[in-house]
Formats: sequence, structure tokens, C-alpha cells
Amino acid sequence: MTDTKSRNLFILLCLAPALIMFVLFMVIPTAEIFRMSLYQWGGLSGSQHFIGLDNFRSLWNDMNFIRSVQNSILLIVVVALITIVFALFIASVLVREDTRGSTFFRIVFYIPNILSIVVIAGIFSAIYSPSTGLLNSFLDLLQLEGLQRRWLGNETIVIYSVAAALIWQATGYYMVMYLSSIASIPSSYYEAASLEGISRFKEFTSITLPLIWSTIRTTLTFYIISTVNLSFLLVTAMTGGGPNRSSEVFLSYMYNQAYGNSSYGYGMAIAVVVFIFLFSISAIVSSITKRDVLEY
Amino acid sequence: MIKASVLFSMSTVLLAVGLVACGNDEATTGSEESTTFHVAALESGYGSEMWEDVIEAYGAANEDVTVKLTTESNLEEVIRPSMQAGDYPDVVLLAMNREEALTETLVRENGLENITEVLNRNVYGEEQSVEDKLIDGFTETFATNPYADGETYLAPMFYSPTGLFYNVGLLEEKGWDVPETWDEMWELGDKAQEEGIWLFTYATASYFDTLLGSMLYASGGTDFYNSVMMYEEGVWEKTEAKQVLETIQQLADYTHPDTVANANPNDFRRNQQLILNNEALFMPNGTWVEGEMEDAPREDNFEWGMMPVPSFGEGEDRYAFSFFEQIWVPSAAENKDTAKEFITYMYSEEAASIFLDHGAVQPIEGITDELEGARQVYYGVYDDENVLPAMGTFVSTEPVPGVSMSETLYGSIDSIMNDTMTVEQWQNKIQEANDQLKQAVE
Amino acid sequence: MKKINEIITRIGTKPFIYLALISLAIVIIIPVTWIFLASIKKNQEFYGSPWELPNGFHIENYLEAFIEANMGQYFLNSIIVTSFALLFLLAMALPAAYVLSRFTFRGSKLIKSFIKAGLFVNVSFIVVPIFLLLLGWEAALSGILGGDFFLNNRVILALIYASTALPFTIYLLSSYFETLPSDFEEAAKIDGAGYFKTMLLVMLPMARPSIIIVVLFNFLLFWNEFILALTLMPGENKTLPVGLINLMAAERSAANFGPLYAGMVVVMLPTLILFIIVQKRLTQAMTVGGVKG
Repeated sequence: MTDTKSRNLFILLCLAPALIMFVLFMVIPTAEIFRMSLYQWGGLSGSQHFIGLDNFRSLWNDMNFIRSVQNSILLIVVVALITIVFALFIASVLVREDTRGSTFFRIVFYIPNILSIVVIAGIFSAIYSPSTGLLNSFLDLLQLEGLQRRWLGNETIVIYSVAAALIWQATGYYMVMYLSSIASIPSSYYEAASLEGISRFKEFTSITLPLIWSTIRTTLTFYIISTVNLSFLLVTAMTGGGPNRSSEVFLSYMYNQAYGNSSYGYGMAIAVVVFIFLFSISAIVSSITKRDVLEY
Repeated sequence: MIKASVLFSMSTVLLAVGLVACGNDEATTGSEESTTFHVAALESGYGSEMWEDVIEAYGAANEDVTVKLTTESNLEEVIRPSMQAGDYPDVVLLAMNREEALTETLVRENGLENITEVLNRNVYGEEQSVEDKLIDGFTETFATNPYADGETYLAPMFYSPTGLFYNVGLLEEKGWDVPETWDEMWELGDKAQEEGIWLFTYATASYFDTLLGSMLYASGGTDFYNSVMMYEEGVWEKTEAKQVLETIQQLADYTHPDTVANANPNDFRRNQQLILNNEALFMPNGTWVEGEMEDAPREDNFEWGMMPVPSFGEGEDRYAFSFFEQIWVPSAAENKDTAKEFITYMYSEEAASIFLDHGAVQPIEGITDELEGARQVYYGVYDDENVLPAMGTFVSTEPVPGVSMSETLYGSIDSIMNDTMTVEQWQNKIQEANDQLKQAVE
Repeated sequence: MKKINEIITRIGTKPFIYLALISLAIVIIIPVTWIFLASIKKNQEFYGSPWELPNGFHIENYLEAFIEANMGQYFLNSIIVTSFALLFLLAMALPAAYVLSRFTFRGSKLIKSFIKAGLFVNVSFIVVPIFLLLLGWEAALSGILGGDFFLNNRVILALIYASTALPFTIYLLSSYFETLPSDFEEAAKIDGAGYFKTMLLVMLPMARPSIIIVVLFNFLLFWNEFILALTLMPGENKTLPVGLINLMAAERSAANFGPLYAGMVVVMLPTLILFIIVQKRLTQAMTVGGVKG
């Protein structure tokens, strides 16, 4: 009996501080957002009208919102897929191969992650510039003028240009996550594999990948969340949502409506939809990728 | 474990530093009294020093008033949170048609003080009334009387004529005349094209607000312009409106191909650079562009010039849109009387000359006589016969979620330039937004 | 034969791997060098080709960033806020993550998904409600405490940083704790160690790699955060990113690029240094316990 009691006390003491702060500074403010999404309010003084679900009904017919949803989903998928490949490749090479200068590479690959988004926007503005940009002049050098594009001026290409910047930024972050979990795989596993003479690729798919699967699953959720957050900052700094809103994403549109169009309640309705959308999409992803956690 | 404990002891040192530092600061910030008069002004290209000087001069004349001044380039971000919490500045200088739309939000929420009677008051320390000092027409648009009821809620402050900016030296060198009609524009465009120069570029699509305004005036006159600003039904189906939209589409063929790719907050200066490099002839802009591009390299023959927007027919009126910033009093302000008095002070000779020293020009009768150099040329644009000032903005409406006239009207221009949207589609979109906003007019 | 095969594949893959690593590294190094070079450029140089080298060392940019934009004071503020926030965060998140991943009790599943849901709450949504909440408390307590207590307070800002980082941190830490074998706890229990002792002396040291990651990532997050700092610290106590934003807004409207990039370098250097310090430990400190490896 006393053991159960002390166990319960221990659980309570460990959880209480985190839970109280979590409720105070995250749950209550979030509830406030849900409440405001039912109001018509300009965001400043004035009157707040309760309008029920009207904001959500307007969302349904708002083509600009639908476009921002499409763009966000596209970014999440493209960025997650490509970043995961890059980050896993770099991490496994740096841990498993005895690469010269691996410390150097580790530091270099992580640098984009510590740059301010404004700097990244500045860098990519120099890369994408139509006439003097690095990308187009590089293509010129390779005699591939046919591939030159106006990377930020073309309404269909611009979202991929944003995606490239996001991948560039994110790879180092996930590299760090995978580095530490690959490094914690006991080397005896690989020794056994190398005695059997299996190929590097096979080694990766049959040992590394299964053993770090839980880390990859964890990061999938992070990809979804961070792409949504970062794409907002990057789009605001880099394209301003243009040309003609073709690169607008969830949060940039939320800000646009909440402040730029004096529709704070409507903006909060967008926030609610984004919240629910993100939550359910990552629940789905998480249940699809569920496997037994392997211990070692 | 050793390393972790190092980390922790490091943080304890910082903790101690932090506590000391925090203790100091609270002592200083707590002592401020709350009965001060609060002025919030956008720090624009004129610099914040201008406001410090004016406040100092005002303070010298009013020793009993303590003025707190907030000038920031991101003024909206700084004052919006405290306004949401009910703490309002007493006077705000912030224009409409900015991305953040804080001024519009207050207009829409009826959060501005009616200052119509202030116009009849005498200017601070002078014998003349504010109304008499102001140039006619500046207090008669929806940019000052947003509810179309003749009542003034925003006072006009710094104005700047806008038009098409170009390199005077290049036109002289080539022997090209400044085009006065759109037909002459196209002719010049063809000629320039042969020399590898594009006729047109623009910084971002939002710079079309003044260009389109001038074109609407030129196409249908004041009444037509006002009916557009009032969201009158079917107004965009009229031939006057169609003429404007089709001209923009025609302009697409003459626009420098890099323009859209650079028309974003990061790169818009590259488009302005095209003019300095003689790669494009004209761009819509305002007098601030000169300061903005001050350090930029340029062709040897470069000299800034500005022309009014061309007319549609020979000998018809041409327009140059007057952009101006507004000063206003929130109705939730604490010291409204001081605020109103402060506004009259803004038009005093003392204040006007301080503003002028920093390059800011107010719509005060006779002020253009005091201007020098290039500024005189810009502000003298209306001296020309057949050149008229255009002014105003859309009438205030209740906010309609997801619908914004400026984004439908100007934002779509990037797509027109890219040829991914037809004029008919554009017109339909505008018409749709127009109808939705019409119902929301208060 | 097998050995020869292996040698061939090794020779075959190595050049490819280096080629890939080096080209990826170049894609990163060039733009970053560009920022450092840009921070010492004169204003006129920004209008030419972005790939030109600076004409000289224009140190004034840094002086302007430090003196006019007050970056020195903001730097200190950022250090205070960030270290407090990290302390608060670890103190709250470590026990919570440990309990949630190693114990099952009534409601544990519910609490877990509750906290996980917090991952999807974006700080940019909730900043206004948080501000209004603090303002309300300020008003209620002004009689007792007087003046600014909840607003313009670096410690309170740090506490809010820590609170908003809880879902991410708890999620990351518990997914690590879950992979740890249970042998140690059982051993500790047999030795007669209590719950607290087991957690502090046995389990937390084992979680070091993930604690390092948590510290690193959250340091970045706190160090670069500006939306909360901008709203909750309207007074003099600005943090570095807010200072940078003001600097940028001011320099941009004056088209003054040099100090802008100098300010960026000032903001990013500490994070770079921190990463260089911890990066080795990330992969070296794995074999703390006795079971693995």
C-alpha cells in the first residue's frame, strides 16, 4: 500500500509543474482561439458579435484559403520526403563510414538551421534572381539555358522554389536527430553484418532503418509542424505570398485575414482548422507507420 | 556527468546575473507616471529625428505636458498589442493602404475620433484656421472622410505626388518625347524595344494602387472614380473600367520580363534598378524612390524625372495621384483634447518647417514655393496645364472575410503580366469582390 | 573473394560519397560565406552583382549594429532569457517525460495525447491570448506588486518560453526514454533506491544524448524567438531577435544593408559556437550505461 502511495506521489510531483504551466500558457490560450473563431471581431476595440459557425462556412467558399491549403500540403509532402532522404544519407554516412573531416561536415550541414529566416530569404533571393542569380548563371555555364526559369516569378514554380529553401534549411536539424540515434546502435550489429559481407545499402535497410524507426516516426510529426511554421516565415520574407497569392500558405493567410483584412475572428477560424488538420494528419501518419519498437 | 554539471553551474551563474539585472530594471520602469500624452508615429524614410525635433518644439511651448513618443518602422507590431489591451496612444500618424491595415481596422471598428471641428479651429498659436491653411480637396476624400458622410476622421499630413518615374537623361539622349497619351506610350515602347529597352516595370503589384487610381480618373473623371470607390453596382462592367483593365493587359507586352520574379518584398529594388540601368523606361512610384535608391549605381546620364499618367485621348486631362499619410486620434484615447490641439499644431509654421527640413511636405497652401531642386519638379507636376491631382481610396466597409478589393484589383496584375489570367477573368473577380463589398458598406 | 569484393565496393562508393558530401557542403558554405562578406560590405556594393567580393573591410557596420541598435544590451537580455528558459524547461520536462514514458497509471494515455496535441498549437496563434492573460493578472495584482511584474519581465518571458516548448520537449524525451531497457530500474529497485533516486541517478544520466539535443534545439528556438518577445516585452528589455527586427525595419527603410547583415551575424554566432561545442558529445556520449554496445 505504501509503495502505491509513494508511487502516486512521485507521479504527481513529477507531472504537476509541467501540467500546470502547460494548461496555463497553452491550453487556456488555445481555448480562447476556439472561442474567438465563433465571433466576428476586427481585432481591436469595438464590438464582438457572436456569429456561431459562420466563419467556418465562409472558409468553405474561400478559394484563397483552399489554395493556401493545397500549397501547405504540397510543401509538407515534398519537404518531408526529400529532407528525410538527405538527412538519413548524411547521418548514416557520417556515423558509419569513417569519413575524413566528418566533424567539419557535421558543422557545415547544421549551419543552415541556425540562420535566421530573413537571412535564408536573402540567400535564396541571391540564388533565384532572374538575371544575376547563382542558379541561372550556373545553368548558363553548363549550357543548359533551356532549364533557366524565373524561379520566383512563375506561379507554378514558385512553391517548389520555396520548398527547396525549406529543405536546405531543415536537413541539418534532422541530420542531428538521426546522427544520435544511429550512433547509439551497438556496433556489434554491424560487425556481424560485415562478417556476412552484406552490402552497405542492405546494411542500411536491414539494420539502421529498423533500429531508428521510432526516431523517424517522431520526426515525421516534426516535419509536418515545422514545415507549416517555417513556410509561413519564409513565404512572408521571400515572396510575400505572391505572385498573385500563388505561394500563400496556412499561416500567412491567417495573418493576412486576422490583421490585413480586419477579420480577427475569421483568422482564428483558420487557426482552428489548421490545428485540427495538423492534428489529424499526423495521427494518420503515426498510425500508418506504427511498427513494433525494436530494442537493442 | 561532469559536462552536465558544468552546464548547470554555468546556468546558476547566469541565474545570479539575471536576478541582479532584473532587480535593477524594475526600479526604473516602475516610476513612470501614466498621465503623459502619447504620440505614436511611423518612422518612415524621413527618419525618427524629425519627430523628436517636433515634439521638442511642442514641449517647449507646453511645459505642463509630458510627451511620450513612439516612432518605429514597424509601428503596427509595436502598438497593436497594447491597443488590443485597451491602452491607446493619443495621436497616431499612420497611413492607410499599408500591409498591416491597422488604420483601416480602426476605421472599420468605428474606433476613430471625429475631428471635423478641429479643421475649423485656429492653428496652434496662429490666426488662421486649419481648413484655410490646407490645400483644397485634401479633406474631401474617403481617405479622410471614410464613411462618405462628410465627417472628417483622419487629417492629411505628408503628401507626395506619384506618377511614372523615368530617366530624363535617357529620353533626351535618344531624342524621345515624354508620352502624353497611351498611344504615344505604345509607339515609344516599340521604338525602345528596337534598342533593347523595355517600356515598363513596377516594384510590386501594390504600386498599381496609385497608377490605377490615376487611370480611373483619366478614363471616367471624378464621378466615375467615386462610383468605383463606392463599390457601385456594375461599375466594373462599364467601358471606362474596361478601358483601364485592357490598357494594363496591353502594358504586359511591354513589361520587362524579370519584373514579376522580382516583385516581392525582398527583391523589389531590383525592378527599380532596371530604370537606373536604362533597361526599362517607366515605373509607377512616389517621390520617396529617390531616397530609397540613393546609393544605387546608375548610368552616367541618369537624372530622375516624373510624369503624370498618360491620358486615353489626345489633349485629355492627365492625372498624378497624390499619396498622403494621415494623422488621427483613437476614440479610446485618454487625452483627446490635447490630441486635437496637437493636430492643429502640426500645421503651424514652426512644425511645418521642421518637417520640411527632413523632407516631409504637408498639404499647406504655398508650401511648394519653399521647395528646392528635384522636389520642386515633383511637386510642381500640377503646374502643367491639363495635369490634375487624383486622390482618395475605397469607402470603408464592414470587413468581409476572405474578400479584399486591393488584393483582387492589384494582386491579380502579376497574373495578367504572366499571361496566366485573362482580362475577362480579372474583371469577373473584381466584379464579384465589388458586389460582396457593396453589401458591407456601412 | 568476399574480401576483394568488399574492397571493390568500398573503392566504388567512397568517391561517390565524398562527391555528394562535398557538393552538399558547397551549397551551404557559399551562401553562408556570402553573409559574412555582406556584413563588411559598403552600401553601394549591394546594388551590383551579389557575387562580387567586398572592396574592403567595412567594420562600421558592426559598430552601427552595436551602438545605434543597442545590440550589446539586447545580447545580455537574450542570454538571461534563454538560460532561464532552458533551466525551467529541463526542470519541468525531464520528470514529466520520465513519468509519462516509464509508468502506466490511470489517465497516463490521456495526458500523453493531451500534451502531444500541444505540438500543433503554434505560438503565433496564442501570443495575443497570452498577452491578454498576463495583462489581466497585472491589473489584478497591481495593488500588491506594483508596476511591471508579468510584462517586461525576463524571467516571466523565460517561463512562458519553457511552457510553450513543453510539448515538443516532453514528446522528444519520452520517445527516447521509451527505448531504454528496463533492467536498470529493476536493478536500482533491488538496491533499494526510491523513485526519485532512480530517476535522478540512473535514468537521467542515460538520457544525456537526448538531453543534449533538447538543449540544443530549444536554445535555438528561444534564442531566435521574436513574436512572444516582441509582444510581452514592450519596454526596454528587448531580446536580440527583436532588436534585429527593429534594426532591419529601420535599415531596410533606409536601404542600409551592411548593418543589417552585421546584426544577423551577431545573432547567429552564439548558436554556431554552441553547436560546435555540443556536436561531438552528441555522438560520443552514447555508451553511458552498461547494457548497450
